[in-house]
Amino acid sequence: MNTPYIEYDNAMITRKDLTHVDVKMYDGRLFFNLEPRRLFPISGLRKYITLLDQDEKEVAIIRNLDTLMEDSKKAIEDCLDEYYRIPKILKIIEVKEISGNINMHVLTDKGERKFEIWHRYNDIKLIHQTRILFRDNNDNRYEIENYDNLDKSSKQKLSAYV
Amino acid sequence: MGDDIEHILTNKPISNSIISKLQDLKIYDQVLFFIVGDLSLDGHYNDSVLAVTKDSFYSFDEKHKDKLMHISFSTIDKAYIKRFYGNAIMVIEKGEEKIDFFRFTYAIAGLAESSIDFMERLKEGQTLERALDFIGAVFEKQLKTCPKCQRPLVREGADCLHCQSKGKIAQKLLKYIKPHSTLLTISLILSLITTAMTLVPPYITKMMVDEVIPNSDKKMLLNVVFILLGAYVIQYFIGTIRAYLLRVGGDRIVASLRSDIYAKAQYLPMRFYDKTSTGSVITRISNDTSTLQGFTMRITQEVVVQFFLLIGIIVIMFVMDWRLTLLSLIPVPLVVTGSRIFGKKILPYYRRIWRKWAAVSSILTDTIPGVRVIKAFTNEKKAIGKFDRYNQEWLKTDIESAKITTLFPHLVGFFVTLGSLLIWGVGGKWVIDSQGGLSLGLLVSFISYTAMFYGPVNFFANFNDSVQAAVASAERVFDIIDAQPEQDLGKGKHPDRLRGKIEFEDVDFSFDRTKMTLKNINLTIEPGDIVGIVGTTGSGKSTLINLIMRYYDNYEGRILMDGEDIREIDMEFYRSQIGYVQQEPMMFHDSIFNNIAYGSENASVEQVINAAKIANAHNFIIKTPDGYDTVLGERGTGLSGGERQRVSIARAVLRNPGIMIFDEATAAVDSETELLIQEAIERLIAGRTTLMIAHRLSTLRKANKILVLDEGEIIEAGSPEELLALKGKYYKLIEIQAMSSKLQKAKEDEKFE
Repeated sequence: MNTPYIEYDNAMITRKDLTHVDVKMYDGRLFFNLEPRRLFPISGLRKYITLLDQDEKEVAIIRNLDTLMEDSKKAIEDCLDEYYRIPKILKIIEVKEISGNINMHVLTDKGERKFEIWHRYNDIKLIHQTRILFRDNNDNRYEIENYDNLDKSSKQKLSAYV
Repeated sequence: MGDDIEHILTNKPISNSIISKLQDLKIYDQVLFFIVGDLSLDGHYNDSVLAVTKDSFYSFDEKHKDKLMHISFSTIDKAYIKRFYGNAIMVIEKGEEKIDFFRFTYAIAGLAESSIDFMERLKEGQTLERALDFIGAVFEKQLKTCPKCQRPLVREGADCLHCQSKGKIAQKLLKYIKPHSTLLTISLILSLITTAMTLVPPYITKMMVDEVIPNSDKKMLLNVVFILLGAYVIQYFIGTIRAYLLRVGGDRIVASLRSDIYAKAQYLPMRFYDKTSTGSVITRISNDTSTLQGFTMRITQEVVVQFFLLIGIIVIMFVMDWRLTLLSLIPVPLVVTGSRIFGKKILPYYRRIWRKWAAVSSILTDTIPGVRVIKAFTNEKKAIGKFDRYNQEWLKTDIESAKITTLFPHLVGFFVTLGSLLIWGVGGKWVIDSQGGLSLGLLVSFISYTAMFYGPVNFFANFNDSVQAAVASAERVFDIIDAQPEQDLGKGKHPDRLRGKIEFEDVDFSFDRTKMTLKNINLTIEPGDIVGIVGTTGSGKSTLINLIMRYYDNYEGRILMDGEDIREIDMEFYRSQIGYVQQEPMMFHDSIFNNIAYGSENASVEQVINAAKIANAHNFIIKTPDGYDTVLGERGTGLSGGERQRVSIARAVLRNPGIMIFDEATAAVDSETELLIQEAIERLIAGRTTLMIAHRLSTLRKANKILVLDEGEIIEAGSPEELLALKGKYYKLIEIQAMSSKLQKAKEDEKFE
């Protein structure tokens, strides 16, 4: 399979709608309505972004988002931002343990949110000691990008659980 | 929320501003149900609302023009839920136009999907009453959760299995301690006797120093030695009996705890194992139960003993000299305060250590059984490297915690030593100055008691450490024991036998809500039908079987067996009626005989041999030196893939099930073995409802019905002849396979020439 790799300026990408882009390759090939998805949604947020057509067939792969031209990069970033709704937790307002479940009240970059975690050992993942991923009882995801950057009170509230 | 709309279905209260807006638009009375969302269209948390009438959707969202968008059902060409990662959008297509209509997280996805179903039902001509019944059932299911912990209930009004058993850890452990209470009580009494004996020697020391030695009283000396001998004999003899009884009691407690976790692990639903590694379950059964055993011994024995020891020593010390006693109490507040701080600090470390250790265990459970693959790919160095990395992470975390766990006891020790220095200093001065009637013997004896006094103080100071370790272990152990088991095992309807009529009614299923694995499955299989299920990898074939097997019960719609909802039938009986032969049959480290008789323990020798014959397994078994007594290695090593498969078919024959399921039973064997297996299968399925998943379409030659799945949907269904005439996907698959067989044959002929 010869899926083209997109990098540097070999393609121009424009945003089509919430989660879709159009792609014009340097050799003149045009692709419409492609949906960017991360091949490594946890370990590689900016590398290996696949572009899928409406039948979910892969059309191209972006090797590294940071090598793209600014406009193309922004188009992909915006789409990914909409597709991957993983609010960044900025502050822990309250953590309570009720009947073995962890009830969290947090401030995220998308607003305040209360959610519940049922399995502390499966649904709270510590990655590289500083990044923390949470999954609530409805399979929604949340993230603390860098634990070290949290305020002291948030760290204290969270310390018993991570 | 407006009180007057409480009769309208809604998942959450509706704000007064939305009610007012609906009233202004004069559509408020027409609303049949509301769905309160949790995201605005730009992805921020917000209470958006979808109001549904009998002919329209109304979406209230800050991002819509006038914060409201109305779309009439009649203008909608297509409506669907587009699932993203952690959120979804209800998209409406009107001609060329695609409208992002209503956005929400996965918490709302089920309800939003049902609103589209509602519209489609009405558009297909279903009566409003029936469509509303459907919506009512969806809302009822959504709200059928425990009011306390919000977990789904087994059935409406049922006790929440999670909350029911939640309580204090000690209370939970009590269940395991109670049956051994007599043993533990005897052990406790013996402990108190030995403890009392330990208080004797320091007092004797006082007598020796103050009376026996100064008076050169040899007779008294002899008496003292005998008294000491008696005290030591009692202390050590009873101590030995006590230690034995304690070990027996402790072992019994941990054994019953382990048995309970293991038993519970057997009944946990597949979705538990989808999210929990087997390594972590094994760690809980082995390590965590041992930690709890230690803790149980501490709370039932040592706490009591140390408490009495503490009281006994304090009383003796006060009687001896109250001033020195007060001096010796000075470090106690420091130790108690330090202990509280220590407890708070150390618990997260215990949790982290456990996580790291569970990760190491997971590697072990993955790689040791898979050692053949590692060797085949000469991946030993990488495997070692990965293990070392995880092991180092555990080491790092453990060392971090060691800083606190070792520092604290030594700090306590230091303060305690300071306390005894005070006694030496002040008491020594009083003896030298002959103040307050303090004799040398009393001082020496007092110092011995002081050293003994700090023992229980140390114990209670460090007790928090073992409590925290036990709390962390107990959480994990009771996480399994309290987990919701497979629904209603051993309960439910129990028909005489299953005839084998299977019906799927509007079944939708998703493993993790991110993607629908099965969509809109409707099918009927009559008793005795032989049904071939085909489709590309990932099309949902095995998931369909997983639902019939009741490995997952959390699907939408209904699956009926002989007209009964399978969720209403006793699961134990239900599964006993189904024979399941998988692509990679699971063999156990046991004899071939026991592997065949697995699940049919009362089968006679001849029944087992007969089953092996039907399964074409007998001939290869008799060629092995140990015949039916041949003990297989772990996971069946010692047998070829085809042989393992025939043993598993023999196992199914022995169960004599009403329904047979084959999941790629011949996928991993050569053509010759395939023929042997095929022959065995044909003998087995005669007269039984049979479902066969197969990539090789030649295996389906006996099928009278074929289902073709693609991306979770049944795209073709009918007899093989009907599907061939249809010239659709099945026809294409047959063509591709025929072509590939021809090519294969041509290549083989070429080589032969």
